[in-house]
Amino acid sequence: MTVKVRFFARFRELLGTDIPAEPEEGATLLSLVRDLARKRKEGYDAIFDEHGNFHEFVIVMRNGKRVEHGDAAAVRITDGDEIAVFPPVAGG
Amino acid sequence: MLSERERERYKRQIMLFGDEGQERLKKAHIFIAGAGGLGSPVSLYLAVAGIGTITIVDMDTVDQTNLNRQILHADRDIGRKKAVSAGEKLCAINPDIRVHAIDTRIDEASAARLIGNADGIVDAMDNYPARYLLNDCAVRKKIPLFHGAIRGFYGQATTVLPGKTPCLKCIFPKAPPEEVFPVIGVTAGVIGTVQATEVIKFLLGSGDLLTNRIFVWDGMAGRAEEICAERISCCPACGGLTHETGGRKK
Repeated sequence: MTVKVRFFARFRELLGTDIPAEPEEGATLLSLVRDLARKRKEGYDAIFDEHGNFHEFVIVMRNGKRVEHGDAAAVRITDGDEIAVFPPVAGG
Repeated sequence: MLSERERERYKRQIMLFGDEGQERLKKAHIFIAGAGGLGSPVSLYLAVAGIGTITIVDMDTVDQTNLNRQILHADRDIGRKKAVSAGEKLCAINPDIRVHAIDTRIDEASAARLIGNADGIVDAMDNYPARYLLNDCAVRKKIPLFHGAIRGFYGQATTVLPGKTPCLKCIFPKAPPEEVFPVIGVTAGVIGTVQATEVIKFLLGSGDLLTNRIFVWDGMAGRAEEICAERISCCPACGGLTHETGGRKK
């Protein structure tokens, strides 16, 4: 299966964007984003805490719908999914 | 009524929305929280558009490191209060509007009083605790909130109609860690101008507002994108609020 992961703002600087991925059957939203983020430690640390959970301020969406962090480990990725991961931009 | 002088000043935009639209802008009162990177383009463009009353609030002093982006302030303003500098510039650029430039902190004690019965609140702050405070006031008073934020070449903007569309807490429930963020003036220019455009559209009652979606700008990629946003029924700020948003001048 093929899915697309879009990182935004700081996450995009660290990890790139519009990343096509071919996760294995049974992959979850959490495992997919973790695997992609692992390619660069700074990127991983920007998104995940030391326990491998999303930082509380990180917004995760699947096909335009917000996914609660607590559900990310249970949400199975399906073919064609589009995942967005972004931080609130804060400056003014 | 528009004066002859005003009709002349706004001639090229009256072509877009007529005397009636210009009257709506003239009757409006917009509250701008912050006279920094975003507050600069927002206030300048709302002033020249003829928003009748602008309140702009900032407690800071102009610093040399502000000048790469805060285009309300000039080199000679270094060391002066931003509110004073902003008031001078806005009055000079359009003496036909009223400008209330206030040098004070926007906090829990002062926010509601400062905002008063403004028709819109522009979020030109640089941190989420202050933004949540504006969001709470917007929800309580049912006044639209025009959000913008920037970092580097990235920016985001969205418009909140309390009770109807996702509020800032629905969209960004948790604040990111504070940081000294890198920024360039052009990003503030893009996002501030988007916010000012939203204010004008809201007051005119025309166009499609940036509600239920976040405008995301990536200056380096030269690309604008959208992210969907939804109301959260258990939102601590706006959950349960169902009233129509007021404040639009007819």
